Amino acid sequence: MANVSESVHAHGDGGGDHGAHAHPDFLQHHFDTPVQQFNAAKLGMWVFIATEILMFGGLFCAYAIWRGLDPRVFDDAHHFLNKILGATNTIVLLFSSLTAALAVRSAQVGKRNLTSLYLIVTILCAGVFLVVKYFEYSHKFHLGLLPGHCFGHPGLSAAVQNGEEVGTCLRVHADSAPVMPEWVKAADEDGHVRLLSPRANMFFGLYFVMTGLHGLHVIVGMSILAWVLYKNIKGKFSPAYFTPVDLGALYWHLVDLVWIYLFPLLYLVGKPE
Amino acid sequence: MAAVDIPVAGGHAADAHGDPHANYLKAKRGIGSWLVTLDHKRIGLMYLTMVSLAFLVGGIFALLLRIELFSRGKTIVDGETYNRFFTLHGAIMVFLFIIPSVPAALGNFFLPIMIGAKDVAFPRLNLLSFYIYLVGLAILLVSIVSGAVDTGWTFYTPYSVQSSNSVISMTLGVFVLGFSSILTGVNFLVTVHTMRAPGCTWARMPLFVWGMYATALMQILATPVLAITLLLLCAERFFGIGIFDPKLGGDPVLFQHFFWFYSHPAVYIMIVPGMAINSELIATFSRRAIFGQFAIAMSSLGLALLGFLVWGHHMFAAGMSEFATMLFSALTFLVAIPSGVKVFNWTATIYKGSILWASPMLYGMAFIFLFTIGGLTGLFLGTLSVDIHLTDTYFVVAHFHYVMMGGTVIAFLGGLLYWWPKMTGKMHDERKAKIGFWFVFIGFNTVFIPQFIMGSRGMPRRYYDYLPQFEPFHKVSTVGSWILATGLFITAYTLLEALWKGKKAPRNPWNSAGYEWLTETVPPLANFHQPPVFTRGPYDYHLATPEELATGEDGREVSFTTQMAAKESTHPA
Amino acid sequence: MSAQGSHAVHAHQDDGAVHVHIASSQFYWGIFGALICLTILTVKVSYYDFGKANIFIALLIATMKGSLVAAFFMHLRHDKLFNTIAFLSSFLFLGIFILLTYDDLGNRGRVDNDYGGRFQLETGQAAPGGEPATTATSDSVAEEAPHGAAAAHGKKE
Ligand code: HEM
Ligand SMILES: [Cu+2]
Repeated sequence: MANVSESVHAHGDGGGDHGAHAHPDFLQHHFDTPVQQFNAAKLGMWVFIATEILMFGGLFCAYAIWRGLDPRVFDDAHHFLNKILGATNTIVLLFSSLTAALAVRSAQVGKRNLTSLYLIVTILCAGVFLVVKYFEYSHKFHLGLLPGHCFGHPGLSAAVQNGEEVGTCLRVHADSAPVMPEWVKAADEDGHVRLLSPRANMFFGLYFVMTGLHGLHVIVGMSILAWVLYKNIKGKFSPAYFTPVDLGALYWHLVDLVWIYLFPLLYLVGKPE
Repeated sequence: MAAVDIPVAGGHAADAHGDPHANYLKAKRGIGSWLVTLDHKRIGLMYLTMVSLAFLVGGIFALLLRIELFSRGKTIVDGETYNRFFTLHGAIMVFLFIIPSVPAALGNFFLPIMIGAKDVAFPRLNLLSFYIYLVGLAILLVSIVSGAVDTGWTFYTPYSVQSSNSVISMTLGVFVLGFSSILTGVNFLVTVHTMRAPGCTWARMPLFVWGMYATALMQILATPVLAITLLLLCAERFFGIGIFDPKLGGDPVLFQHFFWFYSHPAVYIMIVPGMAINSELIATFSRRAIFGQFAIAMSSLGLALLGFLVWGHHMFAAGMSEFATMLFSALTFLVAIPSGVKVFNWTATIYKGSILWASPMLYGMAFIFLFTIGGLTGLFLGTLSVDIHLTDTYFVVAHFHYVMMGGTVIAFLGGLLYWWPKMTGKMHDERKAKIGFWFVFIGFNTVFIPQFIMGSRGMPRRYYDYLPQFEPFHKVSTVGSWILATGLFITAYTLLEALWKGKKAPRNPWNSAGYEWLTETVPPLANFHQPPVFTRGPYDYHLATPEELATGEDGREVSFTTQMAAKESTHPA
Repeated sequence: MSAQGSHAVHAHQDDGAVHVHIASSQFYWGIFGALICLTILTVKVSYYDFGKANIFIALLIATMKGSLVAAFFMHLRHDKLFNTIAFLSSFLFLGIFILLTYDDLGNRGRVDNDYGGRFQLETGQAAPGGEPATTATSDSVAEEAPHGAAAAHGKKE
């Protein structure tokens, strides 16, 4: 809410706790001082980050359970993710985190144009991340490495079900027993032909949900940063008031933080050759 | 000499939010001004309206359930419909009524006032949370219209993966409601940390605020897991990702872990606010410093923490590993400690207090009595071998109604009667309120005591039919539900009647030392005319000036300046 | 950070304006460099097999990276202590969640890697909630499963 009270007014100071503070434009009416408003905003953001971590945490819990229970399936399946693309994306996100941090720094020292520049770079990196993800996803779709009952698309070199090759994506019909391919054979990212147990659907189920939810956060983060950029260009921020830049960047770092864990857990951990 | 003149400087124009000194109900007029208001008091009232409606609807379902059970076989609806009814009753009561009830309605209204703040830290998020609540409600309505869910409010897999498609809209609705709850939690936590007025130290903070704070912690830490659980359930239905579906190699009991990791803390999200209100009621109406204020505050935090360690007690019979059942059973006993701390401290407060038997105090006493029964039966259920016998019977139903209805709802009603004068500026009719109370109290026990008995004799829950030996119990229980409903209607009528017939409320009708009673009746938009400075705790009856404890017929705010001056002369710093 | 004071209890000791620690650009670039090194490290070690330790090594490096991001990019190092507590407590509760859940699922028998489902180690019978994932009986699956499968992966347990 844009605080429209232009007039600088003092409180009726009962306690004599503070003198006549100027109420700058950005200071909302229910706060006494800018620092109070700033601390509240920061704390709110950190608490919100905690909720996000717990939300993703549910997925990490599912991952921990199923990895703990069927380590071999995870070991096998992770070869179907491309480490190089994953690492590239990691570096892209880390770089965007750097530019986000630099954007905050420029806002703190009042270099408005530099802030805009860094924000634009951050948003572009987010775009690059999504494009890479798009290629990874479409490759998985092509191979049929899909979650749950879609797992075992005919793209796999030998999707066998009850001894026969299966022609269509397998679905569970409400009334019939589930049909699942038993063992599938496919070439992994290094070109080795591998066998995957039917339970690999669990790995890909988690892969898609985790990266999907993360991707959603990337998109939300981009929109937030775009909004901050817009406000910055309009000259809303100054060294005295840069809270939205700070909070937007915090959100962006969170997106990075989640990826820092997703990348090794999904792409790297497992038995190498 | 009570109040100073309202310091409205001549040229002090009202800003966009209205004149901070105007009565909050009258600062702006028209429905439009309510819909876009950022004032926590108005948002609290809007929440109050919605949760009351939800309570009404959920209550109607409850009455229908009880009527169906009045006699054996089909009484009014068939089994399928009965399943839908109890699901709707549970989901509406839990997600639309009881979780938002105390925090979002009364908490919103009183938390900022009780710490001397002008508003919550994020007023816009506060309003947003209300609208998110409405969206969640709308989605739930879609689900009801599209055929309703029959899984129970717990949505257990694999049934929820197979049953009707309304499950999707129902889970989405609950998912959205979760965000509303999270936003309230974030807001309260930050408000308590950053907005307390000078003198409102952690040690002096009112116990209601402590309770809201502990609740906020739980809302923040538990609700996100509900969100992901429901997302996974939707993903399970759409894509069959297989995490919870045994057909795809998943584990349905894992769903229960996810669900109860939220929902056990959620039962504390429900009860801790009730306890929070009760601490205020007991202190005010015993006219005494509350016994063990620090212990009560810490036990709220203790409940918030321990609440996260015991969820497995809902799954003893679900096929958990034996090791886990033993661990969860042992941990469950720990939660009795903080609950016990509260109960003992309240009783110690009442002891030798000068008790005023006003209607809110009746509810306060009932709370202690009923919560104790509910909590103790919880211990029966937490005992492994006993639970195998009692799980999924009416004993469980009676247990959680004793804590949720006998605890939270009773405290909620008590809190409403207690704060109604401050909120609306009108006094209700005490006689009617007391009559209402006795109907509620007797009705409630009539409904649920028979359920304990038939539960321990094996009457399973969620059945629409039963064996002949249970018929008398069901009959009594159903009759009890009518008494209870009568009581609730009388109470609702009492509160509403006050709005148009009630006498003008004084500043401090109960002569309480609590902070919220220092401000003007019908608080101004900014809550206090002068930024408050607290020089004593909210239960320090021995330090409160006679002026502060006075009824204050003119309704005007106590002057903090005179108060300070008085303190400084008697208690040099 | 003392300069920010704590508003609520004390009167404001300062001018009420926001004062934060501002690090130099070079410093942020330095952190970025460290993050890149750790990324390369974690990819490199993934080509070696440390058995069960694989996941812990990966998590350790990820946590080092995460701490750098949280402490410096997200300014926790110079922020109020309670923000750090809020942040870390989410991990604490997540840990509780995972541990107590695993404590059930991890103790309910072992996974049958070839057929899915779980069985009790002592008796060989299906564990509670551990129905085999495939509709075929385990024997018939054993026949049909490509023979390379077991050999290629080596039996565990
Ligand atoms: C004093 C501490 C408490 C203990 C030891 C306790 C213990 C238990 C146990 C062991 C069960 C599972 C019974 C079963 O399904 O076999 C249970 C169920 C339940 N409890 Fe409590 N409880 C306590 C307090 C509360 C409170 C304060 C609330 C709510 C305000 C509550 C609400 C519920 C609900 C709703 C259920 C049934 C859930 C369902 O299956 O639908 N409990 N309690
Ligand atoms: Cu519980």
